[in-house]
Amino acid sequence: MQATPPRTLVELFTGFLAIGARSFGGVLPWAYRTMVEERRWLTQADFAETIGLCQFLPGPNIGNASIVLGKRWFGVAGSIVAFLGLMALPFVWVIALGALYLEWASHPTVRAVVTAVGATGAGLFIGTALKLGRAIVRKPAALVLVAGCFLSVGVGRLSMLIVLPLGAALGVLFARRGWL
Amino acid sequence: MILGDIALTFGVLSLIAFGGMPAVMPEMQRLVVEVKGWTTAPEFVQLFAIAQAAPGPNVLIVSLIGWRAAGLAGALIALLAVCAPAAVLSWWIADLWERFRHSPWRVAIQKAIAPLVVGLTLSGGYVLCTPATPDWRLWLIAAASAGASLALKTNPLWILAAGGTLGGLLLSG
Repeated sequence: MQATPPRTLVELFTGFLAIGARSFGGVLPWAYRTMVEERRWLTQADFAETIGLCQFLPGPNIGNASIVLGKRWFGVAGSIVAFLGLMALPFVWVIALGALYLEWASHPTVRAVVTAVGATGAGLFIGTALKLGRAIVRKPAALVLVAGCFLSVGVGRLSMLIVLPLGAALGVLFARRGWL
Repeated sequence: MILGDIALTFGVLSLIAFGGMPAVMPEMQRLVVEVKGWTTAPEFVQLFAIAQAAPGPNVLIVSLIGWRAAGLAGALIALLAVCAPAAVLSWWIADLWERFRHSPWRVAIQKAIAPLVVGLTLSGGYVLCTPATPDWRLWLIAAASAGASLALKTNPLWILAAGGTLGGLLLSG
């Protein structure tokens, strides 16, 4: 399949606007559909590689993808335009929904449902962690790091500013010894 | 200056958010609820729920927190602060990372970060379904949702809707 990058900033903006506006239930599938299937800006392999990099980088994955892709096609202007296109409508939706919720937050059933949606979202995170964990489950050193992170940050509520550097140092040490 | 405080808090979170937003949720909750007091633990979960249910990147929870702390300006500042530092880093690293594709250090760093992301994402899930004292009903909902997300290939929105319905029955009784 031949990929043709967007030709103008307007095209870039409307593309990312279309991703943000429709991304019910997660942005990634919509980003794929818009950029690979509908507009054919990227090949499947390109898309996978860019997302892989952005998942590794700190910060919101899809926000980073808009920066990296905007830069590739139009430089700084492209990064800014892609980011604004991606965030503009979701920002309006989320604030509107937040305002609507606060009107109703004193209603016990509404609060119960929204709290449960939060717990469901928490479960989705746990599902994601288990999916990611499948690749490393046979390595004891990796499980030590997973358990250490979970006990210190999740249960112990220690700051990530302490745990992350320690964990990263240990992880690199383990990796250099071939344990990961 | 609350806006400056918002910018600084979310700016720091941006740079430590390896693995994206899920991995940094425990730290975000700790900072905005326990350290800054911009929202309460139960409300944090509710704002998270709204950000999950609304279309768009889940990073938008920071806008809801900024909005609760300092109105519309807080919402905008929080979003920019959580994205900008990481964006600058991405801008730089995208090319550099490519150049070191076969470096043993790059491989070691990638391997080191993978289990940390798993542990932190797990922590995020745990913290969000344990807003105050442990509640078996919220744990049950979270466990069912995790199971459903692994077993079914459906849009997560349906799982959120099912979880909300289940919670309406379990929690308001």
